Amino acid sequence: MHWRFLSLALSALLLTVGARAAQVWPGEFELTQTYVGEGSVERDPQRRVGDFEENNTLLHLVFTPRIKLGVLRLGVEYERFGFGLSGNAALPDQLQSLAAVVGLDTQLSDSILVRLEAQPGFYGQEIQSNDFNVPFLLGGTYIYSPDLQLVLGVGVNVENKYPVLPGGGVRWKIARGWVLNAILPAPRLEYDWSRSVTVYLGANIKETNFRLNENFGTMRGRPRLNRAELSYNEIRTGAGVDWKIADWLALNLEGGYLPYRTFDFYRADIRYHQDGGAPYGMISFHGAF
Amino acid sequence: MRSPIFSCLASLFLGASAFAADPVAELSSFSVFNNIDLAQLAKGGVKTAHGPQLPNPRYLSVQSCYIVPGPPAPHLEAIQRWTPLAHRELRVWIQQDVPARSPEATFAKIKSAPDNSATRAFTTATTKMSNDLQLSRAEAAKWNPANANGGLGGGVGDFWMGVLAGRARAFTSGGTSALAPYDHSSPALRAGDELNGLLREQGNIRKQFGSFLDGTGIGRGAGSIRADQYWQLQQVDDSAAVTLGAFYSRNSATGAQGADVTYYASGGFYTGLSLYQLWPVEINGQPSTLVWRGDMTSSGSLAGLHGMEKLASESAMMKDVGRAVNLLLKDTAR
Repeated sequence: MHWRFLSLALSALLLTVGARAAQVWPGEFELTQTYVGEGSVERDPQRRVGDFEENNTLLHLVFTPRIKLGVLRLGVEYERFGFGLSGNAALPDQLQSLAAVVGLDTQLSDSILVRLEAQPGFYGQEIQSNDFNVPFLLGGTYIYSPDLQLVLGVGVNVENKYPVLPGGGVRWKIARGWVLNAILPAPRLEYDWSRSVTVYLGANIKETNFRLNENFGTMRGRPRLNRAELSYNEIRTGAGVDWKIADWLALNLEGGYLPYRTFDFYRADIRYHQDGGAPYGMISFHGAF
Repeated sequence: MRSPIFSCLASLFLGASAFAADPVAELSSFSVFNNIDLAQLAKGGVKTAHGPQLPNPRYLSVQSCYIVPGPPAPHLEAIQRWTPLAHRELRVWIQQDVPARSPEATFAKIKSAPDNSATRAFTTATTKMSNDLQLSRAEAAKWNPANANGGLGGGVGDFWMGVLAGRARAFTSGGTSALAPYDHSSPALRAGDELNGLLREQGNIRKQFGSFLDGTGIGRGAGSIRADQYWQLQQVDDSAAVTLGAFYSRNSATGAQGADVTYYASGGFYTGLSLYQLWPVEINGQPSTLVWRGDMTSSGSLAGLHGMEKLASESAMMKDVGRAVNLLLKDTAR
């Protein structure tokens, strides 16, 4: 359970650093915990990993000081997927990342905004120096009007099966109170219930790469999986409510179904895919200061 | 002593005469535009830029500059005379002058406002005395729910005619200092304080316009310079809003200054101010005017924006200002 201690310690650290730095720099934060109920994945009918749960923790703190070029993005992000699997299961018990966030939001013209952001850090089962990777993204927003914006971007991760993945979407204020925020990886249809409450239907696509431990394969009789690169993907579909408690703090509650999940050791050509979805619930505190 | 040859060479390279040197230096001294090339600006249309970063999260400012043919005074007059009504995309449905005494009948046109989702939202907000409405407690107390029928063409219109007439009279008598606060639903906030805050956080601009603003009712009592008042019914975000504004101008041998203040808004933003500085310059031997425009606003909704969102809102404001100036230039060129 040392990860729980790590999560709590990081939360406390982020809040303390955040509270102090907020007096100088503006910023944004997110503390999210998701529980996914029992689900299964299989490689083929004989090789199945069944009835495991998932706990996903995300801590995010980014300062956004204004400079002449635009808005700097400097911070840290920690994420952990815990599956509660036994030590000899075919899949890892946990995957986690601790990364810096280094980016810039800038303006190319009065209609085009651009974000360049890198997340150099450690992506593995444990947080180890040899799990270092630097995924980054480059995206642009075209502000057609206050009601319509188009987003286009690419995510680059050299360890991924597909090193360059396109993304983007559209944000369209359809009518009073209704917003189609169809931007990957978290497209949503939102309705402003009141000034402080937004309800939505949406999805969240997660795709991250992790480097497994040195003896991960040996312990499972498959040495070729030692230090293997694992691509973990999941798609959540659900409904939620976002309640703005204060100017700087919002509470987000979401529930739904996880219809897609894969564990892909793509370099070893071993892939576990969803065999029966799972319900999930999420609670998140987020905001900006 | 300045060499005439140097001046001549300089004007050849710049495409503009030495006449323009002082305006450019003056522009650099208080604005975000440093060392503007007048010849380039004359060819390039309207240049817009982010204003300085303002510590108060409710505040936003955008600056623009451009060159028009002809001397300053007629252009300032054209700015004052220009109406957005001919351009539907600007979503201003009614604009009328407000006489000094401003009887309620001045605002009677509100009763013939178009019927659309924004005006219906405004009517609904009024009948519910929504917290989004910017009113004083005394003004809100005058709302009689029995008058809800008939929308803007009936009791709702009557209510706003009363509010606008009262606010216009107060401004005429005592500038923004005489205006009642917005305290119907939230902590008291005064348009005059917001205007002073916007200027206080832009010290160079306050200094540049100091003596001019001292003669206006902006952020103070009634000034000595005559105000040309007007009111508008326009769309702000999803809802219609009524606003009251005043335009001040001053001409001098070295140019002209103007100030267009929105001293009351029923919702969407607390206050807005556009300042104009105009200098006579020569471009390719023709008398022209260098115009600097500073737009600044205070809005509660801005306070909730951060990072990229704030950048986007500034971009949207830059785009709006650029569009408005281009329409003005197009209309005045006819």
